[in-house]
Amino acid sequence: MQHFSDAESLVSVSQNPGSLRCRLSTVLVILFFISPSGLRAQQPKASEFEVKAAYLYNFGRFVQWSSAAASAKGNAFPICVFGQDPFGAILDTILSGESIDGKAVVAKRVSKAQDALDCRVLYISASEDSHLKEILAGLDKAGVLTVSDIPQFSQRGGMIQFVVVANKIRFEVNLTSAQDAGLTLSSDLLKVAVAVRKSQQSGD
Amino acid sequence: MFRDYSISKKMTWTNMLVSGAALLLACAAFIGYDLVSFRRAAVYNLSIQAQIAGSNAVSAILFDDPSSAEKTLSALQASPNIISAGILTPNGRPFAAYSRNKDGKMPVLPSLAAGQAETHRFGGGAVLLVRSIVFQRKPTGTIYIQSSIEGLYARLKLYVGISTIVLAMSLLVALLISPIVQREIARPIVQLAEIAQLVSRDKNYSVRAEPSNTRDEISVLVGAFNEMLMQIQQSEGALRKAHDELELRVQERTAELETAKSELEVYSHSILRAKEEVERASKFKDQFLSTMSHELRTPLNAVLGFSDLLADERYGSLNDRQKRYVNNIHTGGQHLLKLISDILDLSKIEAGRMDLAIQEVPMESAFADVVSTLKPLAEKKAQVLAQNCESRLIVRADSTRLKQMLMNLAGNAIKFTPEGGRVELTAYEANGRVRVEVRDTGPGIPPEEQNHIFQAFYRLRQSGPAIEGTGLGLAITQRLAELHGGTLGIDSQPGKGSCFHFSLPVGASLRQSQSTEARVRPVIGEAPKILVIEDDRDAASLIQANLASAGYESVVCDCPQDAVKIVKEMQPDVITLDLLMKPSSGWEVLLQLKRDPRTACTPIVVISILDQPAIGATLGADEYLVKPVEKASLLAAVRRCLGVKQGERSQRPILVVEDDTSTCEIISELLTAQGYAVTTAEDGEQARAQMKAGLPELVILDLMLPKVSGFELLAEWRSKPRTADLPVFVLTSKDLTAEEEQYLRKHAESLFHKQQSWQQGLSQQLQRVLKVSPAVKS
Repeated sequence: MQHFSDAESLVSVSQNPGSLRCRLSTVLVILFFISPSGLRAQQPKASEFEVKAAYLYNFGRFVQWSSAAASAKGNAFPICVFGQDPFGAILDTILSGESIDGKAVVAKRVSKAQDALDCRVLYISASEDSHLKEILAGLDKAGVLTVSDIPQFSQRGGMIQFVVVANKIRFEVNLTSAQDAGLTLSSDLLKVAVAVRKSQQSGD
Repeated sequence: MFRDYSISKKMTWTNMLVSGAALLLACAAFIGYDLVSFRRAAVYNLSIQAQIAGSNAVSAILFDDPSSAEKTLSALQASPNIISAGILTPNGRPFAAYSRNKDGKMPVLPSLAAGQAETHRFGGGAVLLVRSIVFQRKPTGTIYIQSSIEGLYARLKLYVGISTIVLAMSLLVALLISPIVQREIARPIVQLAEIAQLVSRDKNYSVRAEPSNTRDEISVLVGAFNEMLMQIQQSEGALRKAHDELELRVQERTAELETAKSELEVYSHSILRAKEEVERASKFKDQFLSTMSHELRTPLNAVLGFSDLLADERYGSLNDRQKRYVNNIHTGGQHLLKLISDILDLSKIEAGRMDLAIQEVPMESAFADVVSTLKPLAEKKAQVLAQNCESRLIVRADSTRLKQMLMNLAGNAIKFTPEGGRVELTAYEANGRVRVEVRDTGPGIPPEEQNHIFQAFYRLRQSGPAIEGTGLGLAITQRLAELHGGTLGIDSQPGKGSCFHFSLPVGASLRQSQSTEARVRPVIGEAPKILVIEDDRDAASLIQANLASAGYESVVCDCPQDAVKIVKEMQPDVITLDLLMKPSSGWEVLLQLKRDPRTACTPIVVISILDQPAIGATLGADEYLVKPVEKASLLAAVRRCLGVKQGERSQRPILVVEDDTSTCEIISELLTAQGYAVTTAEDGEQARAQMKAGLPELVILDLMLPKVSGFELLAEWRSKPRTADLPVFVLTSKDLTAEEEQYLRKHAESLFHKQQSWQQGLSQQLQRVLKVSPAVKS
């Protein structure tokens, strides 16, 4: 039995008073599906991908892009899904209205590595396990934070890999990959990571 | 309480109170400020700790890693005061917690208002701070930290302890310092107060307050006080000096007064002695006068009485020479008696001893008395003696003295007016008084003599030795007029007569005053009633007047036809009858009366101008008088008739109490001559014995008796029932005081003065009182 934290708590409510109502309704909807751990049995548990969608957004908040990389990205803050989309509408719902560093966060689906170059965070679907190497190579030094459920992802050149520890969705970080791509990960992020890898391990 | 403390105590208290209060306030302010700062610092520190912990826990919250957050919170362990801490998710769910005691209890958090980043609450010995965790301007969660503030209390205790010690020490210091202050401030004041008390208690103004060597207000006060003391001392000295001088002067004055007083006492003693001497002399003089009047009159009465008896030729006839001599003796004696009376009166007046018995006197009756007395004298000189008086005119006067005055004036007028002249008495009211005039047609008095005539013993030049008189009458009259509040005046011109006049106060009452001879006590029985049958009014009133003067009661009947009827009704004792009357004559009336048995016994005195006594006697008339009738003969006739009627005489004698044997003999002789039985007593003892032996018909009493006086006898008799109604006639030569006279008038039937001619009055009163006529002289 998986235990997920509230999507609401993972995605902090915006302080913008104008969107408060919208936010609230969103949260209510999420609450309807995602039950908080333990005490609220009648509430539906937050789904795995709802948590993961919120994490995608939060990862973006703990990463610092080099100025060159940032300037190449444009004014939006796209969070992209590569390959078969496991989130569906959930991602759009969670990201809608959010912003990071004054840039509006948008959800985007890509199928080619070229399309993913201007993404800030890229979730690589498990469907892309076979040609992961080509994808990562295509994104080389493009300043894209790569996240995936694919096993051994952090060891295979990916930056953040979701893992489940004690029924909770956690993550591993490959700090070297991130540094190679010109990204600086916050120590706060690293602090909560299950594991932080530093050596480049090319394939297995 | 406090206000009763001494000034030094007050100052000590003030010092301690002020320093204690200042210290307390300062400590309180300091402690308060420190506590506030401490709290603020505690909150500040807590806030910083919350911020650090919160920001360190952001990623743990966002990536749902409570253990990481707890690791962060456990860092608070380093601060020993922090009791618990915790992190909540944005929807209020507890995310991570830290507790020093591991009890894990989460406190109730104060809610944060919208837009508020932090709040805190004190309570339960701790402060609870709640802070919102914001990450990238987005609220990410809430952190709270609860910290103990035991330190605050420890601090507070420490402060209170320190403050107490400081306070105690400062009070101690104040206590130690106050004697110094007192020495400077309080002691001079206390000293001043002690001096002031000394001054007010002992009145010692010589003490001085010790001057202080400072230059403050106290030294000014001490200086002013000393100055004041000095001034008081000076003025008190001056006052004492003045007081001493005053006392000395008072003593001197007192001594002077004492001297004056003793002198005065000596004077007053001598004056008193002089007064007593004067009084004694005056009393002696009174006694002398009284004695003299008695002593002189008694022998004179003998002379007069015996010469009278001799003249009556009762004991053998006298030859002409003898008659003339007896007459001379009598006249001389009377003159002497009058002279003595006048001299005594005058000396009494001059001595101021003349007391007037003022009463209401009808003027008419006074005139009538005088006229009836003087009429014989006037008639002798063929003079008209007239009286002219408003009826009911009443004066306030001494009746006796008024008559004396009138007698003197009228007597003089008759004396000096030649034969055929006229003397008129007039009285009328003028200017609120009654003016009395005695006017004559005499020769008048020359003006040069008018001033002298009132002098004693002055006699008119023209009056020769033929006119007798004492020369005292006018002097006495003038004095008496003055005593009545008026003056005696004279209007006269030679050849035109004289008018003497004086005035008297008007009497208010219309009451008829009693005549001097009137009875005060009721007489025994009634006076004899006499019917006067007379149709001529003048004749009738003359008869009536004559009868009244003898005490008879009379009624006039002027209608002869009714006479018999009236006689029957009235039953008179005697009838006087006129003969020539109309319509019916006296003869007819006489006949009718004598014919009727009821009236036949009534004695009748015929008074007529017809000289026919024989016819009268035939018709039954008891007496016959021819007009003009002398009063004496009329009365004698009436007396005889009354005697006839009664037919008997009193068997009881008349008691004569008289110590002078000659006077006693004269009275006895007089009474015996009139048919009365007489017994005599020479003094009071004999009188009492006589009275015991048998009650007399009447008593004739002298007042000046040896051993027992007449007054005593009279009082004695009046007090006993047996003799209470006994008629007593007083015959005296004593000059009576007003009181004595009043007493006698009340208790005696009649009063006669030996200095006046008393014989006739005595006879009349005897007849009136005894109602019996003495037997006709043999």
